[in-house]
Amino acid sequence: MNKSRLAIGVVVATVLIGIFALLVVKTRSVDFDKHNDIISTLRQLKQVDAEWNVDVLKSKTGYNTNYDPVASPLPLIETLAIALQDKTTEIWGEGSALKGSLGQYRTVMEQKINMIERFKSQNSILRNSSRFLPVAAADTIEAVRASKLAATAKAEVEESLGAVLTKTMTYNLTPDAALKEQVEERTAALKATGEKLEPELRERIDVFIAHSATVLRQQEAGDKLLGQLAALPTAKKIDELTDAVQKQHEESLVGQQIYRQLLLAFSVFLLALLAYFGWRLAKSYRELNVSNVELNRANAELKESHMALVQSEKMSALGQMVAGIAHEINTPLAYVKGTLSVLAEQFSPLRELAKHAYQFTRVVSAPNVDKQLVNREWGHVTRLSAEVEEHKVMDELGTLLKDGLHGIDEISEIVLNLKNFSRLDRAKVTEFSVQDGLESTLLLAKNLLKNSVQIVKEYVAVPKISCSPSQINQVFLNIITNAVHAMPESRKESAVITLRTSREGDDMVRIEIQDNGAGIPKDVLPKIFDPFFTTKEIGKGTGMGLSISYKIIQEHGGKIIVDTEEGMGTVFSILLPVRTVQAPQQANVSAEPELLAA
Amino acid sequence: MTNRKNIVRALIAVGSLASLHAASPVFAQSDEPIKPIPLEIKLDGKKVALGEKLFHDKRLSKDNSIACVSCHGLNTGGVDRQAVSTGIGGKKGNINAPTVFNSGFNFRQFWDGRATSLEEQAVGPVHNPLEMGSNWQEVVAKLGKDEALAAQFKQSYADGVQSKNIQDALAVFERSLITPNARFDKYLRGDKTALTADEHKGYQLFKSYGCVACHQGVNAGGNMFQLFGVMGDYFAKRGNVTEADNGRYNATKNEADKHMFKVPSLRNVALTAPYFHDGSAKTLSDAVDVMFRYQLGRPASQADKDLIVKFLHTLTGEYKGKSLEAPQVTAQLK
Repeated sequence: MNKSRLAIGVVVATVLIGIFALLVVKTRSVDFDKHNDIISTLRQLKQVDAEWNVDVLKSKTGYNTNYDPVASPLPLIETLAIALQDKTTEIWGEGSALKGSLGQYRTVMEQKINMIERFKSQNSILRNSSRFLPVAAADTIEAVRASKLAATAKAEVEESLGAVLTKTMTYNLTPDAALKEQVEERTAALKATGEKLEPELRERIDVFIAHSATVLRQQEAGDKLLGQLAALPTAKKIDELTDAVQKQHEESLVGQQIYRQLLLAFSVFLLALLAYFGWRLAKSYRELNVSNVELNRANAELKESHMALVQSEKMSALGQMVAGIAHEINTPLAYVKGTLSVLAEQFSPLRELAKHAYQFTRVVSAPNVDKQLVNREWGHVTRLSAEVEEHKVMDELGTLLKDGLHGIDEISEIVLNLKNFSRLDRAKVTEFSVQDGLESTLLLAKNLLKNSVQIVKEYVAVPKISCSPSQINQVFLNIITNAVHAMPESRKESAVITLRTSREGDDMVRIEIQDNGAGIPKDVLPKIFDPFFTTKEIGKGTGMGLSISYKIIQEHGGKIIVDTEEGMGTVFSILLPVRTVQAPQQANVSAEPELLAA
Repeated sequence: MTNRKNIVRALIAVGSLASLHAASPVFAQSDEPIKPIPLEIKLDGKKVALGEKLFHDKRLSKDNSIACVSCHGLNTGGVDRQAVSTGIGGKKGNINAPTVFNSGFNFRQFWDGRATSLEEQAVGPVHNPLEMGSNWQEVVAKLGKDEALAAQFKQSYADGVQSKNIQDALAVFERSLITPNARFDKYLRGDKTALTADEHKGYQLFKSYGCVACHQGVNAGGNMFQLFGVMGDYFAKRGNVTEADNGRYNATKNEADKHMFKVPSLRNVALTAPYFHDGSAKTLSDAVDVMFRYQLGRPASQADKDLIVKFLHTLTGEYKGKSLEAPQVTAQLK
């Protein structure tokens, strides 16, 4: 859940930063340099276009002696058009509103280029023919005059030639449809006349007519061409393009203004958001502090109550033990008492013997021996010593003393074990034999086990482990107690507890405590280590035994594994490291004895 | 009398027309229709060197048999002196190779003017199956393997061997192929002794007959289109009309452009026979005859035509300070 919240947070933050970056970019998107570049390119284009017009007219009038000035703007116009295309695309993209204006401009410019090409071709021809026509006329007239034609015929040809020449040249200066008709009329007449003449003259007339026709044709075409050229709105298109660029630029500026305001608003929003999160953070930090203090206190309380519980469980276990221990001690005690009373009874013949032996020595060592008295005392001593000897009083006394000492030995053993079980240095880590631990636990639980539980020991030699012996003994006792409780005397089967020790890997020791009892039901199994959970009657168990055992083993860096089958029994496997990785609850080492002392 | 009057009137008209043209005679000394070629033009030396290498590089053709220089020999007036050029595998082209000299002064490239720049022009021969028969991909791959050449490209172009860079280098080199200091240019620059009397007369005739109407400017042509056959149907007369004869029409598909050709430059024209896009005129005299007949549409005496041919020989210039005129050609002329 935390991960998905984090992911959402990251996405939201990325989006917010993205919007911010976009707005910043948009705010800076208007490039004045490029815009100025475009405007100046357009201005240059207009200049070139205007100068081009002038050069065309100069060529038309013959002021320009060659067409280099007319041809030279071509590469410049193309370069500028490409620059324009590139720059506008760069600023406003492929599909900008300028595309239309640019396209129109290019179309018109293309037309202009083509027209000027035609103009050059046409103008050259026209100039040549119009220059040659009078020469051709003069040459022809000269030839006609030199010919053998009749004078009238000569005059007719001359007149026709003159008329065509004049009208053609006039047409060349002022093209007029009516004039053209007249020229064509007269030309037809001249041609008809010429056909009747000798070949040499006819050829001259044909050349003349051809050039006259060329002048007419080229002048008409040229006139039309120049008219179209003048009407071609290149300048207008450039102006329109300039307007469109300006408009686009202004729109960009307006857009930039909007983006700027948006950016401002968004920045304010982001700041507010940041402030809100800062406030939230400070607040939650405060809350965290408060709850941290509370948690610390709760934790301390919990620790205290845990220790109290451990102790009370211990006390409860001890309470249960007390009766058994009392019984255990009572038996040898009664035995010792009996022995001693018997000893006291057996003591009187010895006392008698001692008294008479003393009197006998006194009688014998007296200065004047009374024979009768000596004999009487001798008799007493003989009888009494025979009695002691015959009744084997000394042997009996020796046996009784031995029995008494045995009883006392048993008592001291119980006391020693009790001492071992709950030593004051319980939290101290020492080298500990788990087998010894199991033995001393069994001894303590003797009363519980009575004679109804058969103990099977399957010990494999294991190394001593470093642990807190009293805590581990407590665990053993808890589990053995539970095992006994799981095998009520009322059932038919005999109760068997199997204890096993073995090595687990290189650095662990395994202790198994198996019973053939009722097993743990499935619904109960997950709860057995819960504090205060118990299946026993009220007063019989605290519900803390396994919970505390679990905790103890955990603190030793070990594990408790429960393997159970209903009706078959349960195996508690305790795994303990040979070397405790970490001293169990160092902090408690001092705390627990204190508690215990209290 | 009326006839006389008419003629006089016509002459007055001509006079008034001439007065329009009067500008030319007045400026005749300083404002001739043909301009001298500049003595030098500033170009990027590294690119010129690279372009020169490429110009001679046969890897531009599919079978590595032909370089630009194969058809535009720099020792043969910038042409191959064939009616049509021979491409890869001995394939015959369909048009006469124009000179590469002074091509930078042409307003467009190719006879039909379909390329507006030398850069654009370079694409044509490389891809033409009758010429180099290759494509940029192949050429770039081949040249890219040449480490030394690739390094030379890197010096001028950050992105190394690229088709656009090959085009650019070739174009820059071709712009360097100028032939200044023709005797006629020396005359234009004021050296009155540069031309013989005949040549000078030939130039005057060149102007007065109207040749100069089209062959003008720095390149004595190369700045406009003109119909081949203004005053007569050249193609009907010649026969066997080919697609190449359509001229500019092939580029524009505009009926009005049929048989329109770029007016070729007359610079070094004495070295570039045969003439015209079809290579049909073997000598300058033949070419001048055709021009008189179909373009000017007027008769001229053989003497005048010879003088014009003499003038045309004065248009041969120098490349890298040496006259383009090969010794044997000079001998022939004398």
